[in-house]
Amino acid sequence: MKLFNIELIKNKRKIIGFSGFLILLSLLGILYSTFNTSYKKPINLGMDFVGGNELRIERVCKGGCSDVSPDSVLENLRRISNNKTFLNNIKLQFQNDNKLISIRSPYLSIEESNNLITNLENIIGPLNYESKDSRLIGPKLGKRLLTNCVTSLLVSLLAISIYITIRFDRKYALFALLALFHDLIIVFGIFSWLGILLSVEVNSLFAVSLLTIAGYSVNDTVVIFDRIRENLRSRKEGFNETIQLSVNESIRRTTFTSITTLIPLLSIMLFGSYSLFWFSLSLSLGIIVGSYSSILLAPSFLLKE
Amino acid sequence: MKRRQGWLFFIIFLLTLSVYLLINYPLQLGLDLKGGSQLTLQIIKEEGKVTRDELEAVNSVIDKRVNNLGVSESNLQTLGGDQLILELPGEQNPLVASRVLGKTALLEFRIQKIGTSKELKSLQLQRFNIKELLEQYTSLEKNQYENNFYKTIQANLKEIEQELNFSSTSQDLYGKLIEIKKYIDNEITNLFLKTDLSGKDLINAGRRQEQTNSNWEVLLTFSNSGGDKFAEITKSIAGTDQLLAIILDGESISEASVGSQFANTGITGGSATISGNFSAEKARELEVQLKGGSLPLPIEIVETNTIGALLGSKNIFKSLYAAISGLVFVGIFMIFNYRILGFVSVLSLVLYGFFNLALYSLIPITLTLPGISGLILSIGMAVDANILIFERIREELYNGNSLTRSIDSGFQRANSSIVDGHITTLLSCFVLFLLGTNFVKGFAATLGIGVLTSLFTSLNCSKTILRFFTTYQSLRQKNLYLPKNNFSN
Repeated sequence: MKLFNIELIKNKRKIIGFSGFLILLSLLGILYSTFNTSYKKPINLGMDFVGGNELRIERVCKGGCSDVSPDSVLENLRRISNNKTFLNNIKLQFQNDNKLISIRSPYLSIEESNNLITNLENIIGPLNYESKDSRLIGPKLGKRLLTNCVTSLLVSLLAISIYITIRFDRKYALFALLALFHDLIIVFGIFSWLGILLSVEVNSLFAVSLLTIAGYSVNDTVVIFDRIRENLRSRKEGFNETIQLSVNESIRRTTFTSITTLIPLLSIMLFGSYSLFWFSLSLSLGIIVGSYSSILLAPSFLLKE
Repeated sequence: MKRRQGWLFFIIFLLTLSVYLLINYPLQLGLDLKGGSQLTLQIIKEEGKVTRDELEAVNSVIDKRVNNLGVSESNLQTLGGDQLILELPGEQNPLVASRVLGKTALLEFRIQKIGTSKELKSLQLQRFNIKELLEQYTSLEKNQYENNFYKTIQANLKEIEQELNFSSTSQDLYGKLIEIKKYIDNEITNLFLKTDLSGKDLINAGRRQEQTNSNWEVLLTFSNSGGDKFAEITKSIAGTDQLLAIILDGESISEASVGSQFANTGITGGSATISGNFSAEKARELEVQLKGGSLPLPIEIVETNTIGALLGSKNIFKSLYAAISGLVFVGIFMIFNYRILGFVSVLSLVLYGFFNLALYSLIPITLTLPGISGLILSIGMAVDANILIFERIREELYNGNSLTRSIDSGFQRANSSIVDGHITTLLSCFVLFLLGTNFVKGFAATLGIGVLTSLFTSLNCSKTILRFFTTYQSLRQKNLYLPKNNFSN
């Protein structure tokens, strides 16, 4: 049974070249982001990691909500707030036909945040406290969360590496891990670019998505390598041809599982809470890149010259 | 066949049990789904790690304060050795809690150094002035900012600074006011000498309204030894011009003289009142803090999340839509590609959903937004195993094997890949659960449980259901298992 016929052997150079190109692009984004942006970090760290105040609250308005300019609101806030320093670094937006106010600012105490809301009510009219979504993260906790996430990533990469090395012989393990790092770097790079171009920030859920991608990507590669090993034991054709055959036999399975995992992620992006949007996006990207690397990249490494 | 029938009954039994559990033990929802506030308190220790005993001590003080505050259904737990998490469900404002919990509430009784009366009087005057200015500043209407009020305050501030011979470094006016007030408080405290009487000698605290005006005062009740100490201290300064100061967290909240009538015995009776112009609210906060005792180590509120109830219920519905649409589309995809096999996987997915939720209520796991996304994501991973098996079955069928044989060897040959493949995901979940924050733990837990449950449902349940189906002759035609056009290959 051969439903697919991908000429892996012929296209080895193209595949590795394409991956190299993607990685180069990602590294470029990471470098650009580290040296040429206002935040000087490889990726635009969100308030989970740097601390801050995020507030979303809906206005209560009869009929449609009146059009207000964020600048005039800020102007008024400057006038009536006691603590004015944080106002220099505040972002205020109106969304959903002026109904939803979203504010980002440096860290505030609960008291200051309450004052901010009261002041807002004085300026633009009543607010619906039931719709409030407020997060205040102190800078100390942010740093801690960042170290926490980085250690989690390193520890689980180490654990996965150890497992893979025990499970396969060294060559297979190395290639599976190469494919894994390939996936992680590309997803990271995409988010670096998103940070540069659309000022998308990453929070602790992004770190979670990287970890999940790591688990998932290795899972995919394991299945294909298993198939290759199985076919190599009973092979009738040459080494390279057997690998190509195994890949073609596994494509259906890998794309299908990717699709069934992408479907729920898409429904989270479409219907789920806004706080999960970027999380689902990075997972989806990871799964797409992960299946590509398991089907095409990792087996290409195994091919003999 | 007999063994499989046993499995079938077992699965039906588990399903009934799950439904029973879900009805009787409803799922616990996190704050992002039901609304409420969550405060993360960080214990501050300059050197070394926070020990277990210290954590316990802080925990018990905070717990007492929370109870005395009378917030309903609050939940306090420790996190990671030096943090505490307090959850306040519903529309309870975290402001009061943050004010009461954040303070160390170190209560000290100090006596004035001899010969400092003049200095104290001048500092007290400046303290009065700065408080006035602060009050004026906070009560300014917005249109008054341009007017002379603002300038008057600035001018007055300058005067105070000159008087104190101190210049503030803050950028804005408000910061300056606060900074100078702190400086004055500190200077006043330094005019007093420590005694061995402190908040530890209290056995109770209360509050009442003063008779002469609408202000509140806080009543202190000392322990026996505390009462003796208090008598001793008051005796030593009775009739002199030395004052007794009650100092809370470095800020003197009351300075009072002791009348000469107490020169022989001191003030006995083991109680004292602090009347420092408290509002009802402030008096209550102080009472709660003193009742709970002072914190052995200072704490800082490092994170506050507040979610309105309406937003919480919206989040539930959004997640429900996402979960159901995910399930439906995955189901359509599977049935379209695998026919009866797809239908079997849909059935085991439904079982999977029930078992998972039942486990959440059994363990119990508090369901949060990231938790739900873990659950939804694991739907995709749950069919992963089914796809692996079905692909094997298809292959066997193409190779001309009989249906029963194909099914058997399909399950057998896919087994090891499935278990292996899931181990890496489980490893990630495990690390996340160990090292992650509360928020992340929810995701790791649901994804991990999901992967484990899916091993059972996709290996065992789908096999049992498939076996059950194939006992019917009419369901044994090969074209029910494979889309026809694929036979041409």
